[in-house]
Amino acid sequence: MAGWTSTKWLLWISLYVIPGIFLPWLIARTWNHQHGSSSKFSFKQLFRRGELGLLSLILASSVIWDLFQSQFMPHTIALSSIILAIIGIMAVNVWVETYCRQHSGTDWHPERAWRDSRSLALSVFGMAAVMEILLDRFAKVVAQ
Amino acid sequence: MSAAAPALAKKAERRIVVVRLADAAEAVAFVSAVFAVALIVFPTSFPHLIVSSWQHGQLMAVMMAFTLVLDGCLYFRVAHLLSARPGLVAAACLGSMPLLVVGGLSILLQAAVKHTLALDLPNLQGRVGEEILAHTYLALVAAVFLPFLVIRLLQQFKTKNV
Repeated sequence: MAGWTSTKWLLWISLYVIPGIFLPWLIARTWNHQHGSSSKFSFKQLFRRGELGLLSLILASSVIWDLFQSQFMPHTIALSSIILAIIGIMAVNVWVETYCRQHSGTDWHPERAWRDSRSLALSVFGMAAVMEILLDRFAKVVAQ
Repeated sequence: MSAAAPALAKKAERRIVVVRLADAAEAVAFVSAVFAVALIVFPTSFPHLIVSSWQHGQLMAVMMAFTLVLDGCLYFRVAHLLSARPGLVAAACLGSMPLLVVGGLSILLQAAVKHTLALDLPNLQGRVGEEILAHTYLALVAAVFLPFLVIRLLQQFKTKNV
């Protein structure tokens, strides 16, 4: 059973989740409270234009950087970087497309933007977690 | 003409299912979560299982079958939810791409393993095992996500040209 000591990836990923998702939500709540506004923002309302896509690309870039620092074979680094970059670009594309649609007056669907960005963000977060676990394992193997 | 005829005609003209990347992304997130949990809960036995099945030549076939079934189920689920009929191009794409992706990445893994063994590094067996583990995960993700990405791009291309 478990090497629970090797869960530093959880701490690492929370460095993105806390300032990227929880902090804006907390600031929005605080602002509402200070200004006596009765409206309460949910995550869905706050990120309904696909902003999670931007956060996903930043996270993907960070993992790609970590991969370049690792001692994996160039094949593995190239493959994982390309896959992460593709999913990250698709995630940020949701945000950009929603913004362009809204700006140009083309019909845009907040429900769809939220669902797409949430799902793509989940996939990037999942991939980032697995890659960090693999990087951690590989660093231990190299150190042996 | 009976009353049921227009309804039947309408049913026959059902539109082709439109795939969104969010559908594949959810599957990728699910695969990642399962892989991460397996690595944390079984840090030795799960990688050992993957490495030994690769050594016995079974890993590629299992991954091909798994991704083919997962992609197919995902596509039919979307078709069912949207009450739309599956398209021929998408079916061809989903039938061939997972096999091509897993096959192609298996060749890449062979090259990575050869490259690792050619280097004079300590703990070669451990390094090869970790390379196999990483490639297995990446092949799974690529074989789930890339076919849907291609279908999505083809759909957009078709929409622009209609």
